[in-house]
Amino acid sequence: MDDRLAQLLHRLLPDVDHVSIEALEPIPGGFSRETFRFDARVRRGGAEEVLPLILRKDPPAAAALLITSRQTEHELLEAIREHTNVPVSASYGCEMDPSVFGEPAMVIQRMHGSGRTSNLFHDGPDVDQADDVMAHLCELMAELHTADISKLNVGGKLSDPRGVGIDTSSWDAYMDSTFDYYIRSYPELAYDPIAMIILDGSLWLRRQKPRPLPLAVVHGDFNPANFLYADGKVTALIDWENTRIGDPREDLGWMVAMDNMSNTTVMSHPKQKGGFLAYYNELTGFDITPEELGYFMIFGTMNIAVPITSAVKRRVMKEHLQFLHLYLLQPSITTLVAFTQLLGYPGATPDTDPGANA
Amino acid sequence: MNTQPGPDGLLEGVIIGLEQEVLPFVSSEKAYATVAMMQSILQAVRQMLPVYDAYLVDEHNSMTATLRNAAAALDGVAGPEADHIRDRAATLGQLPDLPAPADREALIDAHTRLGRALEASILDLDTIQRQPDTADAGDRSLMAIRAHLAPRVVRDTAVISVSAGMIGRG
Repeated sequence: MDDRLAQLLHRLLPDVDHVSIEALEPIPGGFSRETFRFDARVRRGGAEEVLPLILRKDPPAAAALLITSRQTEHELLEAIREHTNVPVSASYGCEMDPSVFGEPAMVIQRMHGSGRTSNLFHDGPDVDQADDVMAHLCELMAELHTADISKLNVGGKLSDPRGVGIDTSSWDAYMDSTFDYYIRSYPELAYDPIAMIILDGSLWLRRQKPRPLPLAVVHGDFNPANFLYADGKVTALIDWENTRIGDPREDLGWMVAMDNMSNTTVMSHPKQKGGFLAYYNELTGFDITPEELGYFMIFGTMNIAVPITSAVKRRVMKEHLQFLHLYLLQPSITTLVAFTQLLGYPGATPDTDPGANA
Repeated sequence: MNTQPGPDGLLEGVIIGLEQEVLPFVSSEKAYATVAMMQSILQAVRQMLPVYDAYLVDEHNSMTATLRNAAAALDGVAGPEADHIRDRAATLGQLPDLPAPADREALIDAHTRLGRALEASILDLDTIQRQPDTADAGDRSLMAIRAHLAPRVVRDTAVISVSAGMIGRG
């Protein structure tokens, strides 16, 4: 792979005379892409420098958790760098020809900072940084959600990146076309009849449509593992492959879900601001209520659950044999419990009011 | 409980995962052999699971009869050892026969069909709930289904979820 990487970098960095690849190794985690860290020692105009880089490669199509475009991600990262203060990797470019790395791939800058975000919580060694890091994280999310869509949505590719008929011409059109996508997708993800809770959630979302907010660029996988930090600051927001136009409450709802699933407490920080939601409301003026957060926890979870649970079903049906997809059954069942609580299922929580959210 | 995948499908998945995603990267001969032994044990569990309960019941019922038969064969024999055997026949040998467990395949098939019926009902109810004149009845009907699902999924979680957080996330 070293030679192919060097050839790609020669193409992406035409002013470079020589490239050698060093310390190439896979990065564990990162469920949806195969990622590798490496250093590129390059010579440019007689001077030598070392570029810390990451190769993000698509998995085989049948095993893919999310079908996304590396080219779109490349253009998005560059647009975010140009038009916002949100720290993201520089993207050097893509190799979309699958014959080179087996699947399409992209090369991005390896950012400074720790990715061991679990160290910020409970009795972790960086717990003293948690409030500052989460305050910064909240500020970055507020900036992203209030950024000019037209500057970031290069070529309109974020309007319907999955090509499933999402209509972003208005908030209502976006919500209605997304409900349709969720409900229509159910047969593709129902690996077992217990998934009917997801179906119930999709139909409930359509029946309980909330008040509108301005559409925004949403990260799409805003979770406790998708940022790097150092010295009380976020040094990078990572994993932008699911970014799209949507309702900003989706990112917050998905963070609530992943906070629960990851045994972290992002949403309870920054404490001096009354927690993440209170500080976000202060920054944006959106006045999002906890009830809306509950709604968008299901809505945002559905956006991820549709492709991921579909990949799980393809494993259950043995269309591929990736082990990860079997493991994902464990967090999936936890998500179902969260759905039952948010939908007010009788007996799901001690104080459930039967019929409250039918 | 999930029927798709059931325990057998999960164990098979672990065996395949070890084969395809672990063994190719194991360089120690001892570790390689240990993984192969783990696969062998997991395959043994797969083979045990479908018959385990039925065999235990069959053997339980056979052992009570055997204790009685062994004692009956000692008719006329005196001594403490023979008395011990007769005592066992009079106690453990009198345990009632246990019923055969349900056929697992038939149970899974019926369970799946019932689950699909509830699933289809949720879809039908959505139409009923969206009509103003039937919305309340639809809500009550959906709540009956939800009342079945909630304790079930909570119980499933206690059995299926293991780690405190999601492995591989930060």
